[in-house]
Parts: sequence; structure tokens; C-alpha cells
Amino acid sequence: MTRDEYQQSLATLRADVLDMGDLVADRLDRALTALSTVDETVAREVAGADDAVDRRYLDLEATCIQLFARQQPVASDLRFVASSFKIVTDLERVGDLAVNLAQYTLAADRERFEEVDLSTIADLARSMLDDAMTAYRTDDAEACRAIADRDDELDALCQRASERVVRDLIEREVDEGDSWAVEELMDDVSRLLLVVRDLERVGDHAVNIAARTLYMVDSDPQLV
Amino acid sequence: MSDSQQTQSQTQTRTTGSDQPLETTSGETVEETREEWVEYDFQGKAKMVSEDLDVYYGDDHALKGVSMEIPEKSVTALIGPSGCGKSTYLRCLNRMNDRINAARVDGSVELDGKEIYQDGINLVELRKRVGMVFQSPNPFPKSIRDNISYGPRKHGDLETGLLARMLGRDDSEAERELVERALKQAALWDEVHDRLDDNALGLSGGQQQRLCIARCLSVDPEVILMDEPASALDPIATAKIEDLISDLAEEYTVVIVTHNMQQAARISDQTAVFLTGGKLVEYGDTDQIFENPRSQRVEDYISGKFG
Repeated sequence: MTRDEYQQSLATLRADVLDMGDLVADRLDRALTALSTVDETVAREVAGADDAVDRRYLDLEATCIQLFARQQPVASDLRFVASSFKIVTDLERVGDLAVNLAQYTLAADRERFEEVDLSTIADLARSMLDDAMTAYRTDDAEACRAIADRDDELDALCQRASERVVRDLIEREVDEGDSWAVEELMDDVSRLLLVVRDLERVGDHAVNIAARTLYMVDSDPQLV
Repeated sequence: MSDSQQTQSQTQTRTTGSDQPLETTSGETVEETREEWVEYDFQGKAKMVSEDLDVYYGDDHALKGVSMEIPEKSVTALIGPSGCGKSTYLRCLNRMNDRINAARVDGSVELDGKEIYQDGINLVELRKRVGMVFQSPNPFPKSIRDNISYGPRKHGDLETGLLARMLGRDDSEAERELVERALKQAALWDEVHDRLDDNALGLSGGQQQRLCIARCLSVDPEVILMDEPASALDPIATAKIEDLISDLAEEYTVVIVTHNMQQAARISDQTAVFLTGGKLVEYGDTDQIFENPRSQRVEDYISGKFG
């Protein structure tokens, strides 16, 4: 085996991308905990600490660019570096979504709309992200295709939840003379819709990661 | 390390021999062996076709059963480690190996459907149709103009000089046009048009190489063979040659041997990879070879994992 240093850089890149994946997953977990327990301390922590994810993202992007410029990877190495380059962008976006979710917690009133099952949606989105990063770690093409299939399920859950919120809003009796109550209700509704939308987006990013991983493993652009 | 040793160590480290299916990391078995993939389905017409081409230098079996089709008006790159037979293959395409006494060629090479390894073929005519540019620029120690017009004059396409003038067959206007056209095609005209009578050896290496390409073009070839045409040049001269090769492929069929894999990736339409003592291992679209080669050994070679 020649080009040892180059091979070492590729191994390091993979480890660092997985590490960034762990960091982002941790942020997302904390944001989801904060959301379900309405824990403002945790929410503040997540909302104020996006820098670490951004720094990791910029470092990894620079690493990929340097590998392109200096090593001119080809074949599976090329697909690996190109996919990693795209995957870190998705991870950075998931980090942003974790911040959003934490911010909603800080402003949310969780006593309303309890009938919307956010935890099922959150668990599904979260497991899709986990599985996508595991597929990236283990070069698992089949797992990538399975993640794409699960996104349909997530989309359907999110759609049902959004419809439920809207229907509930229409049916709810609010004293229209109480403008404070109306405004608070509107805030809660839009916040809840945003939570649903952001969880759906976490799933979309997980699918993107799976798509790039599938290209990396099998040179198959089917999901891209 | 010899080629056979290389193959052996490769086999051991990858736990896949030539007849064994490859195991992926997920434990599945890939049906094809990923060892050889020389069938290549391209759009358009084949300009040259070799069938079961073998070359021996004495006892050395330098090229083993190479069958491939070279599409017209495109750039075909031949890559592979030293001693893999790529230059030998290139030289078969205009029978330059005939000049090596110990060389013996078996098999067939066709140009436009006509066998070039048959008795009675006119080698001068063949090499006019299938021209060659070598690794080191080798202009004649003559003027720039004479370098270009030498070939056409030899072939009788151009009559100039005292005798032609005396016989009233002077083609100096045709010569002027031919020199200008060839130098323009080789992207050299702007740099030398005001010193055509200077000795060609006074040009820079990159200019000399483009002059050699112009000289090759002056006899109106159909196929241009290039044996590492830019390996002796600096990056700027190399870039000019590469641009030129891409332009030439609009009109000519170009076959290029290069050690520089990035060069093959940059300029060729299709790439043939020769490995381990004279075998063509994979042939396909350049995009596919460099993004997703089918042969594991080709992948390892182009990624620099052995060699």
C-alpha cells in the first residue's frame, strides 16, 4: 500500500465526519429533551452553542477542499470525499434545526395541543439521522435505501400533525374580544407548526446523507 | 517489484483472486469478479480496431491478447504502470514496432475496416494516415517552415525549390498556406509567424513539441498517436498541449499514452487501463473509469494504492 499519509487523511476525515455527526445528534437530543420537558436551561444551552458545530463544519469543508486540491482523489476515494463534503453541510443544517427547536421551547406554551404526538415524529426523525450516519460509517447501501423509504412515513406523520393543529384551531373557541389570548394562541399554533416542519427537515437531511452515502458506496445517484 | 509479485501481494491483501468473487464490507458477494472489464459500448464509429493483439520482444510477451476499438474523432488515453504494454500497443497502431528487429506481432489491427498487418500494405502511406508525436520534441535541425513542409514534399504533395521553379511547378504559395494552416492548428502560429526561417531548435521545449504536432498535421493524418507528449514540458506548455489535443479531437482521432493520470482524466473521452505485463484490464468512458472503475485492480492503480 502506497500513499500512506493520504490513506490516513481519508480515515481521519471519516472519523471526523462521524464525530461531527455525534455532536449534532447530541444537540438534537438536547433540543428534543428541552422541547418535551419544557426545560429552559437546556434549551438556552443548545440555542447558544451553535458555534462548535459551525466550526467543525468549516474545518471539515476545508479538509475536503485540501484533499481535492492536493491529492486529487479518484474512484471510491473521490466519491467518499465528495460525499463527505456534502454530508457535513447536511449535518450543519441539522445543527441549525436543533437551535430552532430549542428556541421554540423557550417561547412555547406546552399546555395547548397536547393531542399532537410530537414524540413519535421526533423519535422517527432522530433514528433516521442515526441510521444515516451508521450507514456512512459501515458503507451500508441497503440501509440508505431503507432510510429513504422511512421518510415517506415521517412526511405522512408530519402532515397529519399539521392538519390536526389547524383543525383544532378552527374548532377552538376563543374569546375574540380578548386580543391577548388570540395572539398567544396564534403564536402557539405557528410555533407548533414550525416544530413539525423542522422535524420533517431533520428527516430530509437524513435522507440527503443516505443519498450521498449510497453514491459513495455504490456510485448510485438514485436518491440524490 | 515485478508485475507478478505485485499482483500476488495485491491478491493477498484484498483476499480476492482473479477467480474469486469480491466480498464487500457488508459481507455480500459481488457476482462479477471486478477483475477485467474491457467491453466498451461507445457512441459513434470505430476508427481503429485491434483483435487479440499479441506482441513479443524476443521471449518477452509484452502485449497479451488486446482487443479494443478506438472511436473516431475523440481522445483515447492509454494508462498504466511502466512496462504494462501501453506504448507497445500505441506503436502497433502504425506499425512502428516493425522497426524493432526482435518484435513479433500476432493478431489484427484494422484502420477503417482494413487490416494494416497484411502483406503489401504501404507503410509510408499508413504512417501518413496514422501519425505519431513522441515524448521528447524531435524537430528536424531545419527551419520552422521546412519542418512543416518536409513531409508534404516527401510525399509529393508539394513541389518547391529550384527544380520546381525551373519546371514551372513551384508550389510556394501552397507551401505558405500549408505552413500557416498547420502552425495555426497546432496553436503555434502567433508565436512564430515572423520567424519561420529560424532554426526550429531555437524554440522552447513546448514550442518544439507543438511544432512536432504541426509537422504531424501537415501531411493531413486521420489518426494521431501521442506517446507522453507533455511529460518533458512545464505546466504552462503542458496546458497548451492539452488544449490543443482537445481541439484536434474535433477533426482527428487521437490516441495518447500518458503516465499522468490527471492528464488522462482531463483530456480524454475514453480511457484504457493496461496492467500487469501487457494486459488491457479495463476500458470505458473516462468519467466512469475515474469515478467508478469496475475492476478493483484498476481502482487501486488509479488511486495510487499500488505501483
